[in-house]
Amino acid sequence: MLLRKLLNVRYSCLVRRWASTDSLSLQNEKLQAYLESLRQEYYALRVNAAGNSSLYERLSRLDPVVNSLEKHRALQRNITPKQELAAEKDEDMRALMQEENNVYADLLRKQEEDMLQELLTLADNVDYPALIFEVKAGAGGQEAMLFAQELYDMYTSYFEHMGWEYEEFAYETTDIGGLRHANLLVSDPEAYNWLRYEAGVHRVQRVPTTEKSGRMHTSTASITVIPRPADVHVHLTDRDLKIETKRASGAGGQHVNTTDSAVRIVHLPTGLAVECQSERSQLKNRELALKRLQAKLMQQQLESAEASKQATRKSQQGNLNRNEKIRTYNFMQDRVTDHRVQQGGTLHNLSGFLAGGQQLSVLIERLQLEQRKSKLVELLETWQAPQEAFEKKLN
Amino acid sequence: MLKYLKRPLLTLRQSATRALSNSTKTTATTTATGGRLIEVNKALNGWEAKLKDAGVQDTDFNLKCIVSHVLKRKFNTVPDDFSQLKFNSAQLADFERFLEARCARMPLQHIIGEWDFMDITLKTAPTVFIPRPETEEFVRLVIDNYKRAEHVNMLEVGCGSGAMSLSMLHALPQVQATAIERSKAATALAWENAKLLGLQQRFEVHNHTMETDKYMPESLHDKRYDLIISNPPYVKTDEFQYLHPEVVVYENLNALDGGSDGLRVARLVFDLACVHLRPGGKLWLELGNEHPPLVKTIMHLQYEGRLKFVQSYQDQYKRERFVQLEKV
Repeated sequence: MLLRKLLNVRYSCLVRRWASTDSLSLQNEKLQAYLESLRQEYYALRVNAAGNSSLYERLSRLDPVVNSLEKHRALQRNITPKQELAAEKDEDMRALMQEENNVYADLLRKQEEDMLQELLTLADNVDYPALIFEVKAGAGGQEAMLFAQELYDMYTSYFEHMGWEYEEFAYETTDIGGLRHANLLVSDPEAYNWLRYEAGVHRVQRVPTTEKSGRMHTSTASITVIPRPADVHVHLTDRDLKIETKRASGAGGQHVNTTDSAVRIVHLPTGLAVECQSERSQLKNRELALKRLQAKLMQQQLESAEASKQATRKSQQGNLNRNEKIRTYNFMQDRVTDHRVQQGGTLHNLSGFLAGGQQLSVLIERLQLEQRKSKLVELLETWQAPQEAFEKKLN
Repeated sequence: MLKYLKRPLLTLRQSATRALSNSTKTTATTTATGGRLIEVNKALNGWEAKLKDAGVQDTDFNLKCIVSHVLKRKFNTVPDDFSQLKFNSAQLADFERFLEARCARMPLQHIIGEWDFMDITLKTAPTVFIPRPETEEFVRLVIDNYKRAEHVNMLEVGCGSGAMSLSMLHALPQVQATAIERSKAATALAWENAKLLGLQQRFEVHNHTMETDKYMPESLHDKRYDLIISNPPYVKTDEFQYLHPEVVVYENLNALDGGSDGLRVARLVFDLACVHLRPGGKLWLELGNEHPPLVKTIMHLQYEGRLKFVQSYQDQYKRERFVQLEKV
């Protein structure tokens, strides 16, 4: 009984997978219908979108899909139907037509791939101009902080690899070179669609440098990716700021030699205050304090702008337990395993991976593709052709 | 008068220098024997009070600077509470020696041998003027004004450690800087700093004392510049009695003494600018509290048709101290 139940579960799983690959084939009627509805939406929008920016946005998103659909149809029309081919008497002519058909079939296949790609990109339905990328040490004490630092290094070099601009606005380290947590602002419209798959708990397994007896430890660090909506802007004007240093009165310039470096800035409209004395130069401290103030104000705005932020963070970080991980970095076996990739989720050459270059990029690309596919399948499953929906309503 | 005031301070200075020079011997012996570690927080015991008694302000910051210097760590990587930091016995000896010197009011920047100015770190030397926080604000203003300029041929009069010129060069790649400086030690230090920062390609410094009708060294007598900057000595002679011991005992008074109204050297710079600034070129000066209105009057009365007062600016403490002049 139990066995059957188990088998059943497995079986249904298999069936679902079959169905999913199938539903993304262009032979699938539902997909065909979906594409047609997109096409109609596109032309309807072209007539009606005047002046409405959100409609324009939708239009520009649809444009590549519909474009490639039209190309696909044009190619299809070029293929000589079988009956015509059979009807042709002339042997040479038929060979020629056959050859032509082969070429078109080839082109058609390529076009199909392109179209699917465009369709998959459409599945990412939101664009964010920037995002907040957070690295946080999890379970495992000092070792977890060391690992968090390694992840931080990996991602910052990845940002550089991708040519994205980023800015760090909170950074807390430990004495032995570890990282408690860091917040980065990544400003690139592309970034969110790549980095969202990195959010979650990352697990490391190795003998830590802090370990004296040579046992292997398992520790975690978490990554959170919070999209920053376009309407959050913080603009600081001099009028709103009160900048204070320790030396309020008395002589200045050449008359004294004080190392007056601490700076405190009060943002008058909100009453928010920041202090900074982490550098020896006063001007540098002022710049840092301004940056921190800006980050604080931004965080405040974000919290009000996006109520779901906490929920996002929670769902991405899990409860920081060792078992809710998305990826494992095993130093003993020199491997990285991504637990979301069904097959071939294990890569070797850990140090190359931690360099944050091509290897990481390839893995993210794979995750992105799988994620988009499953999203599209999900969409198709729930999608109803407008006609059907209409009929349903009537009934 | 001044001499009597200075005598006790000079003995202080001697003791400070002695404290510093003792070092080499103690360091050598302790490194040979020393293996014991002591927590930084224990080593700090009582020093804060001693510094306060000696009249040193901002003691936390002073201590942190010295601790990070002794440990040879970057200032911003040392935690404020010094937790888990330890000295070996050689470092402990250094630490106490430095604090002894600080209690004798030797400037912090001389003790640790370097200082940060804007984005660069400069070496300091005992007889060379130490750049002040206000000067950072001054340079920031000048940089802001020349950010979008295409090419700037700049002259600095009295460059000291090179702080102003070198941070301009560091921030703006389109600047080419020449500097003159009367002190041999400062000239050498500015050049050394330029080399340490990798800016020597765009920087030259000449040892030259500015005099009436001999403002520039012979080799530069026909040069014209787009911009002249200077932080000339502007302390009035009768203000010397009010200066901090760090300044009056340890700093080169040539870099401070601005004569009876504080503008003796500034006037020489005005004259120099009349000759060596191209028409439309600017002269930026950092001066004392009451100087900008005075400079405005001097321009109207004595430099009509040669130099024009453009604007004055406040430093970060809201004191009107910076001026911009233009060659007509």
